[in-house]
Amino acid sequence: MEALSIRSMFQVSIMFYVIAAVISLVFIKKQRLCNTASNLICAAGSVFGMSASILKIFSEESLIAIHIFQSSIPFISADIKIDNLSAFFVLSLSILVFCVSLYSIGYISTYVGKRNVGLFNFLYSTFILSMFFVMTSGNAVFFLLAWEAMALISYFLVVYEGEYEENQAAGTLYIIMTHVGTVFLMIGLMLVFSHTKSFDIFGSSVGIPILAKNIIFILFLVGFGAKAGVIPLHIWLPYAHPAAPSNVSALMSGVMIKTAVYGIFRFIFFFLGAAHIWWGITIVILGVLSTVLGVAYAYIMSDMKKTLAYSSIENIGIIFIGLGVSFIALAQGNLMVGSLATVAALLHTFNHSLFKGSLFLGVGSIQYSTHTKNIEKLGGLIKKMPITALFVLGGAISISSIVPFNGFIGEWFVLQSLFANIVSGKAILNLLSIISAAALALAGALAIATFVKLYGISFLGLPRSEHALQAKEVPVIMNIGVGIPVVLCLIIGVFPMLLLRVADKVVFDLLGVSLFGQLKGGLMIVYHPLKIPGSVISPAAALIALTIIAVLAMLVIRVIGGKYIERRYGTWDCGFEALNSRMQYSGEAFSNPIKIVFRMLFRPSNELRAVGGSTYFPESLEYVTEFELIFEKYIYNPAVYLMQLFSNRAKVKIQAGSIHSYLIYIFVTLIVLMTYNRFA
Amino acid sequence: MFSYFDVLSVQILFSSFILMANKRIKSYIKTFRIQSLLIALTAGAMGFSLEKGRIDLLVVCLLIIVLKVILIPNMLEKTYASVEYIVEKDFILNIPILVILSCALVVFSYFSVSTIEGINSGIINAQIVNSMSVILIGLFFMISRKKAIGQIVGFLVVENGLYVTALFSTHGLPFIVDLGVFIDVLTAVVIMGFMVFNISEKFDSIDIEKLNKLRG
Repeated sequence: MEALSIRSMFQVSIMFYVIAAVISLVFIKKQRLCNTASNLICAAGSVFGMSASILKIFSEESLIAIHIFQSSIPFISADIKIDNLSAFFVLSLSILVFCVSLYSIGYISTYVGKRNVGLFNFLYSTFILSMFFVMTSGNAVFFLLAWEAMALISYFLVVYEGEYEENQAAGTLYIIMTHVGTVFLMIGLMLVFSHTKSFDIFGSSVGIPILAKNIIFILFLVGFGAKAGVIPLHIWLPYAHPAAPSNVSALMSGVMIKTAVYGIFRFIFFFLGAAHIWWGITIVILGVLSTVLGVAYAYIMSDMKKTLAYSSIENIGIIFIGLGVSFIALAQGNLMVGSLATVAALLHTFNHSLFKGSLFLGVGSIQYSTHTKNIEKLGGLIKKMPITALFVLGGAISISSIVPFNGFIGEWFVLQSLFANIVSGKAILNLLSIISAAALALAGALAIATFVKLYGISFLGLPRSEHALQAKEVPVIMNIGVGIPVVLCLIIGVFPMLLLRVADKVVFDLLGVSLFGQLKGGLMIVYHPLKIPGSVISPAAALIALTIIAVLAMLVIRVIGGKYIERRYGTWDCGFEALNSRMQYSGEAFSNPIKIVFRMLFRPSNELRAVGGSTYFPESLEYVTEFELIFEKYIYNPAVYLMQLFSNRAKVKIQAGSIHSYLIYIFVTLIVLMTYNRFA
Repeated sequence: MFSYFDVLSVQILFSSFILMANKRIKSYIKTFRIQSLLIALTAGAMGFSLEKGRIDLLVVCLLIIVLKVILIPNMLEKTYASVEYIVEKDFILNIPILVILSCALVVFSYFSVSTIEGINSGIINAQIVNSMSVILIGLFFMISRKKAIGQIVGFLVVENGLYVTALFSTHGLPFIVDLGVFIDVLTAVVIMGFMVFNISEKFDSIDIEKLNKLRG
């Protein structure tokens, strides 16, 4: 009975998304109505999805199966199977969809009358649906179909504002990279099929020999890594996220790249099993690379959405470190550390979708009211948009993993699992853990700097442009959309047990080990499983302590300093007439020290040019600073060059223009295939 | 058991040899007519002989006669009459070599098809081998001819070969599939006839060796 109702709730959720898609096409002429209606329906669907997945995780039912359709043609059937892992990801999807849908009611209304809003809503709801299917599909063929649908729909959303050339280029890069990834996945799944003769995701991989398993692992890692945006497969991400409308970027960064994490859980962790230590080591190394480089690039970007995109790469890196540690631990049979690391990866996946979602939405609000996402043109927004400022601050604190917010919890668990993975007698593995922990700490510091820059330059100080001066607070509905995830971030941050209980249930389902007994301590306190006194943390206590300290400090200042009198003076301006916005610290200036410290990575070049007048008395000065994106320059550009060279050669040699030679190609292919048929 | 089907399939194969040996474009079309007639006969014979009496195969037989024996060749003749006046050498290699190569193709398809399980119980199914050879010869015919009409006829022969292969291996496709195939072919011929006409307008010839600008 219970399982039945959960199943029907999932079905209702799917139906709502379908209805939203249909409605947006039916009312394509009445844009405002269409936008409100379809977004509200999506939000309603997400409420069902949320409650169904929570119920699912805490129900006794192990697997909920829904058949959408089945056909007599082999392997062509759409069936959904939801276990706890799927339910966890669906929960994360649904929460974000709820917020983003509310937000979109306001955000998309700027497009009314200018663009095809109905089409956008259609794409939006089918995009959600495709992600839902990716997370819940029961067979590999359906999974690939949903995966491709997700890639294509998100491509169309990325190029929704397609009149700008950079958006087209971003879309093209994205679709190429995602298809390269899909090719790897396809080959991997075919290899699986050739050994198991089944496309069942929940099947067993016992029949696959070791060598094939290793090859399949690499194929899956590349395939999912391209979608997740792990360095060095990340190049599409910093272009595609800024190009898409902000609500779509929130979904793409919050959930879509997590489908790759889901895929790694489902196909490598769950299906292949953690067979070798080197799998884990590879994943950890990729994670460390992404974490450090991702945040380093995030720090120097002046486009806010690019910063957030690179920070997504960083967070994916953190998730990968957690995953990798769990692979290493499980391959050695250390179930406890393995489950700790898995919980860490799941926690950070969930948390990241919340705070990254809220940050992208917050930046969308800024873009909505100032029409720019360039940090150098903003400033002083805290006075114009106080509510947005508050929420973005919450998101920024959370993503910088500072205590009372949830970003801290995930990273703390990743670090704990790294420390727990250090055991005597395994020098190289220990070295890896220590270096990873150090890298994670470095990345944490850089992340704080990144978000101090993002928040400080855009919200504090004086407005740097007319747009920033004219900024107004966004509609309430948009603020609600930004606010809900921030509030959730705070709640989870203060009471981590709420989320830990869910994640622990999921991991128990996967590994059969429950951490929960060792995390006891009520709702407020998190113990580390090793019961070392130093590794206990209680975010709630930290919050209380913080408040007490702040109040005490205020009191002390009052008591010692006496009553202070408010005086309103102009700031001393060195004898200039008035302070203007150009005298402030700019974003570029803020990031320059790091650029110089890490000049090996960024290879910055500065140039001071005189403009107008004579050389000695120029009318104005121009300061140009540039940096290199090393992966693009040294890996992708040569690859693209080789491809183009090959294509040009092929055009001359193979595609000679003669119809006879084309016919001969067909003929020869036929002959070769028939010969193959003889010997196969 | 179906020995007259064997005979028919050999005759269809033989007609494609005749096609390969033809020198003039008009005779290509005539040979195509004969081959299509043979295929219509095959379908008709199959419709009568199979135990359940497939009426739809008789309809198919009628369709083939209307479309491939009368309509399409007439259209081709009309197109030919309106574009080409000069008779010149149309083939790349000379006829005897082409015929010998076609023989080699038959041997090759025997070599390739003979291992497929299920279509031959004990002895090789000659019908399948013959009709596969028709496909290969049709394609080879397209390669060996220079004029665009030759390509169209070659394409039609390939299509004939595919259809006969399907007919012999399944003893009657679903009717809807047949209909679809015929309509496809008809459309293709209409379009190609039109294209040939345009090509001749543009280049004053239908020699496809002059169409060498098609490249990316």
